[in-house]
Amino acid sequence: MLTGSKTTFKVRQMLPDIKERMLSQSGVHARSRDVFGLRCLPGECVLQRAVMVRKKLTAREGRGWVSGTLFCTHFRVAFVPQDSPKPDDNADPVLLGDHDVALASIEKVVVVGPNRTKLVTPNSSLKFTPEELVLYCKDLQVICFLFDRLTPDAQVIEITYTIAKTYQPLKPGSVLSFQNAALGSVEMKQFLSNRRRNTHMNWFESALDWEQELERCGATGWRVSSVNDRFEMSTSLSRSIAVPQKVLDTELKKSFAHFNEGRIPRWCWRHPRGSDLLRMASFQNNIYHEKDDIRNLEMILFGCQASLCVVVELGEELPSPADVQLAHSRLRALCLGDISTSVSVPDDKWLSTLESTHWLDYTRACLRKASEVACLLRGGHLTVALQEADDRDMGCVVSSLVQVMCDPHCRTQHGFQSLVQKEWVVAGHRFYSRINYHRDNDKEEAPVFLLFLDCVWQLLSQYPSRFQLTDDFLLALHDSIHLPLFSSFLANCQRERCKRSQNLGQSYTPVNGWRDMDSSSDPSDPPLPSVWDWSLQYSKHRRDRFTQPVPPTPPLQPLLNGNLNTNPDTHRLTDTIPGSVFLLSRGIFSCPANLLPWRGGGGGSSGVYKKSHRRAASSENVPGLERLLKAWALAEFPQGLTSTSGPQGPLDPYEPLLPLLMGPCMGLWKECYLRGALHAQAFSHPISANHPHPVERLAREVQQLKDELALVSTGTDTSPPAKMAEPRRADTNLNQNTNNGTFLFPAARPQSASAPRAAPRAAAPPTSTNHHTSRGPPPASAPPSRHGHKDNGGNKHTFLFGHPSVAEARPDQHHYPAPNNAKLPKSNGSSIAS
Amino acid sequence: MASPVPVYNSNPLDEHISSTSRESLKMELLADVSLLPGEERIIDKDIIYICPFNGAVKGKVLITNYRLHFKSSDADVVVTLDVPLGAISRVEKMGGASSRGENSYGLDITCKDMRNVRFALKQEGHSRRDIFELLFKYAFPLSHGQLLFAYVTQEKYGENGWDIYKPMEEFRRQGLPNNKWRITFINKSYELCDTYPTLLAVPVNSKDEDLRRVAAFRSRGRIPVLSWIHRENQAVIVRCSQPLVGMSGKRNKDDERYLDVIREANDTAKLTIYDARPSVNAVANKATGGGYEGDEYQNAELVFLDIQNIHVMRESLKKLKDIVYPNVEESHWLSSLESTHWLEHVKLVLSGAIQVADKVSSGNSVVVHCSDGWDRTAQLTSLAMLMLDSHYRTLRGFQVLIEKEWISFGHKFASRIGHGDKNHADQDRSPIFVQFIDCVWQMTKQFPTAFEFNERLLLTILDHLYSCCFGTFLYNCESARDQHEVRSKTVSLWSLVNSRMEMYLNPFYTPESGRVLYPVASMRHLELWVTYYIRWNPRIRQQQQSPVEQRYKELLALRDEYLKKLEELQLSDSPSSRLGNIPTPNTSSSATPPQQYTQLHTPL
Repeated sequence: MLTGSKTTFKVRQMLPDIKERMLSQSGVHARSRDVFGLRCLPGECVLQRAVMVRKKLTAREGRGWVSGTLFCTHFRVAFVPQDSPKPDDNADPVLLGDHDVALASIEKVVVVGPNRTKLVTPNSSLKFTPEELVLYCKDLQVICFLFDRLTPDAQVIEITYTIAKTYQPLKPGSVLSFQNAALGSVEMKQFLSNRRRNTHMNWFESALDWEQELERCGATGWRVSSVNDRFEMSTSLSRSIAVPQKVLDTELKKSFAHFNEGRIPRWCWRHPRGSDLLRMASFQNNIYHEKDDIRNLEMILFGCQASLCVVVELGEELPSPADVQLAHSRLRALCLGDISTSVSVPDDKWLSTLESTHWLDYTRACLRKASEVACLLRGGHLTVALQEADDRDMGCVVSSLVQVMCDPHCRTQHGFQSLVQKEWVVAGHRFYSRINYHRDNDKEEAPVFLLFLDCVWQLLSQYPSRFQLTDDFLLALHDSIHLPLFSSFLANCQRERCKRSQNLGQSYTPVNGWRDMDSSSDPSDPPLPSVWDWSLQYSKHRRDRFTQPVPPTPPLQPLLNGNLNTNPDTHRLTDTIPGSVFLLSRGIFSCPANLLPWRGGGGGSSGVYKKSHRRAASSENVPGLERLLKAWALAEFPQGLTSTSGPQGPLDPYEPLLPLLMGPCMGLWKECYLRGALHAQAFSHPISANHPHPVERLAREVQQLKDELALVSTGTDTSPPAKMAEPRRADTNLNQNTNNGTFLFPAARPQSASAPRAAPRAAAPPTSTNHHTSRGPPPASAPPSRHGHKDNGGNKHTFLFGHPSVAEARPDQHHYPAPNNAKLPKSNGSSIAS
Repeated sequence: MASPVPVYNSNPLDEHISSTSRESLKMELLADVSLLPGEERIIDKDIIYICPFNGAVKGKVLITNYRLHFKSSDADVVVTLDVPLGAISRVEKMGGASSRGENSYGLDITCKDMRNVRFALKQEGHSRRDIFELLFKYAFPLSHGQLLFAYVTQEKYGENGWDIYKPMEEFRRQGLPNNKWRITFINKSYELCDTYPTLLAVPVNSKDEDLRRVAAFRSRGRIPVLSWIHRENQAVIVRCSQPLVGMSGKRNKDDERYLDVIREANDTAKLTIYDARPSVNAVANKATGGGYEGDEYQNAELVFLDIQNIHVMRESLKKLKDIVYPNVEESHWLSSLESTHWLEHVKLVLSGAIQVADKVSSGNSVVVHCSDGWDRTAQLTSLAMLMLDSHYRTLRGFQVLIEKEWISFGHKFASRIGHGDKNHADQDRSPIFVQFIDCVWQMTKQFPTAFEFNERLLLTILDHLYSCCFGTFLYNCESARDQHEVRSKTVSLWSLVNSRMEMYLNPFYTPESGRVLYPVASMRHLELWVTYYIRWNPRIRQQQQSPVEQRYKELLALRDEYLKKLEELQLSDSPSSRLGNIPTPNTSSSATPPQQYTQLHTPL
């Protein structure tokens, strides 16, 4: 049963016998009346269809083959398995079913016939009947369909031609026609314009959004400025920017000219120890510095920290966009292989070839830089300004990685989405050019965002318990990038996005989002949804896997006020001379004379500052800073013998997740890059798609039991104090749990980790995108603080841990429940008497 | 901290502190060492440990008849080190009385478990003489006419691991004997083959005289015998050593007939003979009287699996150690890893086993051999059986697999590991068993729900492969074990494992009998077993329980607690039922963990 050579054979799958196939065929015919089981989008038409096709399932889908009907519409290649439930016509449209692929994602169509393979182009003609159809996709998926002998030859050939002709050919306007195919119908436009946006995340599109973030981070001393509201100061910056409170808008306006593209230093995030993270473009050097300008520039750069600013130069050690592009295309070629050319790297050279793509080197470089910044911020009370020439690539990567490392909120799904909005979408990462949807600007193409996703995956794989989001979520985001449908990625900055919406006759209002002003808008351009509207893209069961079955311990309630107990290192840093600026480059701190061009001497007007900065430049406090970085290097050595004695000591939730960067610790994101490798199909996923995660199932059972127990004990014991007994004890319990750094909260925990963060917005009823409510069974009795976000977290935990501790506290007490109430859950099987 | 003591430490019970160690408690420095029953202090000394990660650390070393233990005296840097003497392969003096430089005078200890340990002493007064001599004596007891620690220890366990494998029971489980296969006692007193077990399964149609004649034509008398039979299609895995063909190309009709009888047992059209070696090596073996089955074997096809010999494997692991200890090769890690070829060897072993398993599951009987049939053959048959038979993927079944295919069939543990032997350069040493465990680990990574046991079991097995604390891996074959009364005088490793099974259970185990597991044997999907090979590096986080796993166990405990309380409530509610109407669901939470899992995984 083995085919192929000794080292690269495949184990052939068992074929169902003919009789079975005949039966199943008749099944297809019986069903074929209801549009063959395919739920079309409004306006979508089926161009071709083939019956009796089998699709190869990936490891994630449970492996093996599933038979069904293959469709080609002018928007997608769809596959409907035989036994899939009848589509619900009233449900909201979902762009892609679980087995579908959008035409725009297809990169290459290859057919396999008897003893040969052929790349099919729109113009090619087939001289044989294909047995297998392989679709190579831009998102590194490879989708393989097998035609049965019972599939009519005509159907096989026709559908192959149709797919080859309609998948996005590289010609101008094709993206637009694809968008129209997907979203262009009147119904679809209507549907999209009525969609609510996700209120659980921060979109960072309005001043209000930014104010919320300042509040969330406890970033006092900063304010939101709307000076760029009409994009007059900087075309690529967002409408609202966070700047020091003490700088007035009029002063601010004069500063834009001093930075490349007007991208002045802006506040991104505040570490709970009180340090601020800023990002900015490089300085415009050929400009005369007025005395007043200098004062403003200094204020903007130092923000609220009068004493110390570290400028982190991102250009030198990090890959350029061209590097990223080259590495990614090599990685792609390596991982995907290609059966049409049968060029693939020999297995024994895999490791060295992987190394030579440099992809892992680049992820390591980004993580290292972000780790350095995270360590600096941990030191407290300084400003770290990330500086990149145009501040639109590596600035995005590093600033967002730092926040993923340091801020537990950014490791939840909604927190992460907010982060991407803040540091990428509205910050002006050139998604449109970098992804190069139109294939018209190869020079600019560079999947910087995918590099970032890989870095996040590395963190996730090293600290799985500290993330609420899963790699399924990262994978979904990875794949969505390649679909030219989302407003998030189809523009280079907020200005472009707004312009587009105005052309559509829509107006953008910061509060309500997109709104149709004029129903007779230009019919040619459909309104584009945001990528975060996941229910548009994925079925519920796929979305359910975006978050851990057992969410991680929620971060302690707002400690983010900049007053977290400062660590000893800070003292040394705080008594530095006010106004010190250091450059961090290649792990070394220095204070080059021309670091801040206006301080460089020359102009006599800067004399005021010159004096004090000469002294500052004596690098007195470099050792203090270096110690911070050294602490990181040493942090990789666990201190003491704790590892032998199980769980570690108290865990500071804001302690950055510093990744191990040694060779053996950096992994390849196989679930993403290698899912197309056909020989890898035997790889199995721990949990098959149809079964809930065992932990989830157990959590459900425990919840059930607890409810039973509550029922039983309340049935007998009516005295309320029993429930409230020893709240302190419950608290102790809570502390222990957080200390362990693991999840201890049942899946049914009614409060999502991110919900408190979105408190002011969460008043809106949960929309369909609110997956939290759908996970696990509903709690038997709603906790008192369901919407009372201002309550401290203690209540919730008391609720959860109340019962065990109550019972523990009163073990000798007798309860006399009514016999009928004391029913045990069924799921306990034979071990329980019922 | 320096080389951390593994979490799954080798001292299983902490309460036992022998009387001798009570005296040594005076030195509070060493108070935290809990000695095993029967373990005795030999010497202790102030010493400097040259930690490759933290630099020189002052402290005290304690040497017992079982271990070398170091603890730093400096309160700032807590460094402890715990090395079972059995893991030591070489002790050398480093530097001389006149050596210059700091810490240049001392001891250099090479270990079998991927680490080196160096100590420095004061240069004056032959300070290292006593410790060197005692260490040398107790690390290599067999070279000094002393007993291995397994014969000394007084440790007692609730379980008797020697009962885990009963050959007859295992044959019965496989449905043997049947009308095609019989159990023979011909090797009862190791006359037919001194490296085989006493019970052998052979074709019904071959008489004992036939077996003797076949034995004459097989290297060391290791005749083809049945290892495993497929319940449905009756295809078998048969193992043996190479035929003694020699330069002249000798033939043996009995051997040819015997293999044909094996083929006929389930009407296989063609018997497949897997020769684990590269064909070049098989040819070269003719020069020393060996060889391979030629065309004269009708109805048989021969496949070479290209797995290298023990020397290549030893050198490969040595290269791997060079790039991971003490420091991980930082630049060009992947190409360095590639150049060790370790993963490639793992791949070839796995892919060989996949071919065997695939052949058998499609109904064809196979014969597996290499040169002597105790290294590569054991790897291939045991891995193929692990793929084919879900019983071996359970905690106890895996113990049976090791007992059967490795221990009873004479994998030369004593020679390959060199227990208690000072000859560190012995060419017979080779990490064949380590490689097998690595292959198993690769399978558990690829099929995370298919194995009842977890990674910790594999690590424990490898730790005690060297420790000499248990009798399980001592000696080369059953006859030698009988001679040294291993079963009566030592404790089995499985006694330890089975008396604390819950430590070794994989909570996500989903039993699926009848499913054949084919791992992907490709460099793209094999991984370096970082938590074993690089575990001494403090930068590698000690493998803590995966969070989900931990969460699962906590939930289990919570569930048991609730169940108990519900039960209590019910009992107190209806006192009459106390008399036993209700079967107690969960009197103790630990009593029925495996059952709980199965309940959970039953689809509702």
